[in-house]
Formats: sequence, C-alpha cells, structure tokens
Amino acid sequence: MQAVARRPRTNHLDLAQRILDVARQCGFEAGAHLPEQQIASLCNVSRTPVRAALRLLTEKGVVRWEAESGYRLAVDLTNQATVAADLPSAEEDELVEMILRDRSARRLDQTVTIGALMRRYGAERKTVLKALKKLTDENLLDRAPGQAWLFRRAPDDPEAQGESYEFRLLLEPAAILGPGFRLDGTRAAALRQGMETLLALPDAAFDIKEFQRLDIDFHGLIADGAANRFVTDSLSDHLRLRRLPGTYAGVNVFRLKQSLREHLTILDQLESRQYEIAADLLRVHLRLSRSQRPQAASRGAPALFGMISRPD
Amino acid sequence: MTRKASPTIALFPEASFGAALNCVGIAQALRARGARPVFICHAGFSGVFADYGFQEYQLPTDEPLTDSERQSYWQAFVRRHLPHFRLSPIDQLETYVAPTWEAIVDTAVNAEAPLRQLLARLKPDAVVLDNVIMFPALAAAGCPWVRVVSCAETELPDANVPPYLSGLAADDPSREAFEVRYLAAVAPAHDRFSRLRADAGLAPLPKGLFLEASPDLNLLLTPTIVRRQRAEPLDPARFVYLEGCVRSEGPFDVPVFPRNEGPLVYLSFGSLGAMDVGLIERMLAVFDRLPARFIVNVGGLRDTYRAVPDNVFLDAWFPQPSVVAKSDLFIHHGGNNSFCEALRFGVPSLIMPYCWDGHDNARRAVETGVGRHLSRDGWSDEELENIILGLMADGEMRFRLKENAATMARAPGTDAAAEAILALVRT
Repeated sequence: MQAVARRPRTNHLDLAQRILDVARQCGFEAGAHLPEQQIASLCNVSRTPVRAALRLLTEKGVVRWEAESGYRLAVDLTNQATVAADLPSAEEDELVEMILRDRSARRLDQTVTIGALMRRYGAERKTVLKALKKLTDENLLDRAPGQAWLFRRAPDDPEAQGESYEFRLLLEPAAILGPGFRLDGTRAAALRQGMETLLALPDAAFDIKEFQRLDIDFHGLIADGAANRFVTDSLSDHLRLRRLPGTYAGVNVFRLKQSLREHLTILDQLESRQYEIAADLLRVHLRLSRSQRPQAASRGAPALFGMISRPD
Repeated sequence: MTRKASPTIALFPEASFGAALNCVGIAQALRARGARPVFICHAGFSGVFADYGFQEYQLPTDEPLTDSERQSYWQAFVRRHLPHFRLSPIDQLETYVAPTWEAIVDTAVNAEAPLRQLLARLKPDAVVLDNVIMFPALAAAGCPWVRVVSCAETELPDANVPPYLSGLAADDPSREAFEVRYLAAVAPAHDRFSRLRADAGLAPLPKGLFLEASPDLNLLLTPTIVRRQRAEPLDPARFVYLEGCVRSEGPFDVPVFPRNEGPLVYLSFGSLGAMDVGLIERMLAVFDRLPARFIVNVGGLRDTYRAVPDNVFLDAWFPQPSVVAKSDLFIHHGGNNSFCEALRFGVPSLIMPYCWDGHDNARRAVETGVGRHLSRDGWSDEELENIILGLMADGEMRFRLKENAATMARAPGTDAAAEAILALVRT
C-alpha cells in the first residue's frame, strides 16, 4: 500500500499558478510589486486566498516579502517552466500521478472503484474522489454505472497512437491556418530558450522528462494560439493524453534532438508570421514523428510490423 | 581503389532487431570516423534506422500486406510456432528450423533483383551483411563485402565447435545424430538456394551452409570470455573478433515502483518472444514474491496483462543497453545482441531460449560461467525463484563479469568493426 503524503490545498496551488500566469501576461519583471488587491482583482478572487497563494510562492522563492512594500516578484517569469516545476503538488495530484503510473504499468485494471483505490493507496475517500474528478475532468476516466470508474483509451498502443497522429495532422496545421491565429511571444521565447538549452546537452545527459514538458508546451502553444475556441479545446484535451506515463518511452536521443530542431524551425516561421510555411513544416514534423517500427520480426519471419509512433 | 574522405558503407541487416541494432552500433562508429553509413532495409524496418539519423533505402516488395493481413499472419505464426518453441533443439529441426530456412531462402530470392538495382545505383565502397544467408547480388556489387557473424560463433563450423542451432556441447556424443537430421531437414531449402546461386553464377555451398565467409572481412561478435578454441584457427587477416557490438542509446531513468526495493532485473525475450504471453504471466506470478524489482519488455501486448505486481514495470520498448547497464540480472532468450549487452555491462544472464541461436548461446553461457540456462517449459515456480535468487547472490560470477565488462569497455566492438571496415575500403 502506498500512502499519500500531506500536501498544500489544491485551490492555493491553482491560484499560485494563476498569479504567475497573470503576472507574465501583464509583463511583470523580476522585482515588480505585487499588490494583494490588484492581484485579487486580476484573478477574480478575494484577498484572503491571494495572501495564502503568495505565501506559498514566497516559500518557493518565486516571490519575496518586503516589510515596507509587501510582495515582489523574485524571478524572471520568461523562465516559466522552472517556476511551475518548483511548486509542490497537491495531495490528490500525487494520487493522480500514482493512479496513472499504475494504470500504465497495468497494475490497475481498466475499471476501478473508490474503495479499492482507498485501500491500495491508503488515501481518504475525499482525496480519492478529488483525484477521480481530476481524471474525469481531463477526459482520462469515465464514470461507469454503480461505484465504478472506467479508464478511457490512452494512446499507449500502436493503433491508438496512429489514430492520435491522424487527429493531430488534421487539426494542428488547421489551428495555425485558421483566421486570427496569434502566437504568445513571451511563451514562445521561453520555449525557445528551453529547447536550445536541452539541445545543447550531450546525449548521455539528455533529459527525456524535460523533452516531454517542452514538447507538450510547444504543441499547446499552437493549440492556444488558434482563434477558434473549439479547435483549442479539442487539441488541448488531446494533448493532455500525452502527459500520461509511457507516451515518451523508447525513443532515442537522436530523434528527440531532431524533433527539437524541427520545433525551433516551426517557431522561426511562426514568429515571422509565415503561417503557411509553419503549417507545412508542422505536417512534416508530425509525419516524421509517426514513423513506424517493426512490432515483431525474427529469423526467417517476414518483416512485418505494427506502428509504434514516436513523440514529436 | 581510390581513397575517399567519406566512403559510403551500405549496411544490410536482416529483418530482425538483433541484426538491425548491431549494425546501428557499427554505423554510429563509422559516422564518427567521417564515413557515410547508409542502410538497405526491408520495408518493415523503415524508420528504425532513420530514427538514429541514417539514410535508408528500402528494398521494394511486390505484395505489401494490408494491416488486417499482417495481423492475421502474426496470429497464425504465433499459433503455429509457440508449441515448437518448447521443444528441444533437435525436435525443432523439422517444425521450426526447416520452414524458417525456407522463408529465409524466399527472402533472398525476392531480394535479388531489387538489391542488384539498388547497389548499382548506390555504388557503395563496401557492403556490410548481417544475415545468415548470402545474397548473390553482393558478390556482383563490385566492392568488398563484409560478413557480420552475429548469431553465435557456431555459425562458422569447426571440429571443436558444436553444430549450429544444436545447443549441444562440442563433445556431445549426440552431435552426429543432430548433424544428420539437420542436413536432411534443411535439404529442400538448400537445394532451392543452390539454384539461386547457380543462376547468379556462384558455386554451391556445402550441404547445410547458406552463407560463406567473405573473402574480404568477417566480423565475429564473440567477446573473449565466451570465445571457443577452434581446431582450425581463423585467419586473423580476414576474421576479426569483436568484444560485442553495443550501440549507444539515450539515458534510462529507472521507474519508481510501488514496491521500490531490491535489485533490478530486466526481462526481454525479444519482439517474437514477447508474444509468449502465457510464459511471461507465469513468470510475473513468481516475480511477485521475490525481493527485487522487475522491468519487463512485453512488446505491443501490454493490454493483455492484468493485475501486474507492484514490483514489476511493463512497457513496449526500452533503450535496452541503458537498461541492462543499470540491472543486476538480465533474463533473455539468448539472442546474441542481448547476450553481448549483458556481458558488456557485467550482468549475469538467465537464458530461456526459444529457438535458433538462443540454444547455442545458452549452452555457452553455462560452459563459461557467465549465466544459467532454464528451458522455457517444465520449470516449477520454486525452480525459477531459486535460479534468480542464486544468480543474484553469486558474488564470484558477478566479480568476474565486472572485470570482463571493464575489458570490453576498453575495446568497444563497434569501434573495432568500424576501423576494420574503413581499413578495408582504404586499402
């Protein structure tokens, strides 16, 4: 049995992240003043939770408290990822991670119940319920009749991965080509910096988790840039599936680095507003990432294969 | 021959992961030395080499299968052969080895014309063949060709070496009986192969042999620790032994297990062996009660497993050399690639072979004290448990393997192979 540790409250963590997003969108630089009332207005909440969230950010060194002037931003938010990674996870977030990990390794069946999850993880009923709600909100789980929940199909088998690429090939270039596409320049600059840093690492030190984060962020940037909200929602829902454990396993560093270079070239075109070229490059990038690996072959057996797609 | 700054080396591995990945290792070392390695591959392996940054040239196939035909083929293949994988090597001769040789001859026949055309267009400075059969087009390519002996040393017959695919000791009294039955079983395939050679102007090979030694260069993927004393030593000018041929892979982070204690054991039976779900399920039940963590390669069949133990992690694919490097025991099918990776990283092998060279490598692992052999069938839970615990507790074996691994690390087989190939094209 795996006990779930005590963690900060989810709403404080969410608000802390929202404060950072707002500060970034407003162009706040390191050292900028963060008045509680202004932050509360910008985030549409009262001052009390803002205070708790700012305290949390202070503990993490993202914000500093000065007796005379109050809270000030302590970091450069263009490096947003580092900040997000530094925030602790909530109790139910940790449980969500464990559930997904165990489902990916097939330690959990496709159907789960609250009671079984409480016993397995030594968690309280309310924590399990929150975790299940989160998984349901993220379209990873469905409520089944009775007390059961059913995992949705994840893109962790060759056929589902193939369908996932087909879907993305349809929609991601369309997100760029639709009227009103807008690139978030600050986010793009932070992504570029992160990808260049990762590319500079020697193969032996390559960080696949960091690649996964950058990859999802890059494609999320395109999804969020679409002016059509339904396109954004569909792509964002689908990209969430790529956060699941196992999605990025088994890809060698050569391809991952190649993939980062492709991202950078697409970013170049997006920043130059050459959207048609960017969309074409994106199609090529997705097609290359979808290349095939043999599923089974042996001495004398014909070279037959199933698709095992690679991350882009 | 003129000396080129960047010679083109065409690597032509058979359609199996072992050969493909050996050649990736050699190609990486060739590229590091300024050569231009390219791959000739079967359609089914498209993308594997590009994934490592190499140009691929596909051999065209006349009749590509649809997805459903492919699925049906594999279902039928597994249904037909799973029972055979539990037979002794001699009883596999008629059931698995002979039909497999027939299929291999089919491959050579079908590849001949497109291969000739491709080589004429590519004009490589050398061709590296990692296969078990000769493609006559290579002899007509107008450049040296290199044979990679990547199954087992038994591929090259000798009085002091046991028969290929027999799993016997060299001095086993049943050796002759195996040889007689082998020749009879493969005779029809050999006759067809001889006709292919004759059509291409090549002399027939002795009965039972499908591939000659290259007149130019032969690379044996046989580390010193498992090498055999031959009655007739191989000519060192043409035969180069390699200390394995392990490719570079990216880093591997060991996953967190719900039961996260104990030594790390890696299990992989290769892509074909992964289809033996019943065997792996039986093994998982034993793993559940052992004080260790297990990483298990199940190919594309993850969805067939349920209630996997908390000390087991399943996935479809692993960067194997990087996983083996972090493991304390490697359970595999005796493929030479896996065997050499275990040796390269000083990890004991538990070999459970299902066919072909796996039997020979399992025998050799026991003879040289670098691992143990367990048949795929007929073991009890206690037997598997004891053999795993015994291997993990064998300090003497581990010490010897670590010393050998250090020796292998000092002389990477991939580098030696690349040097020998480049020396050949630059002569």
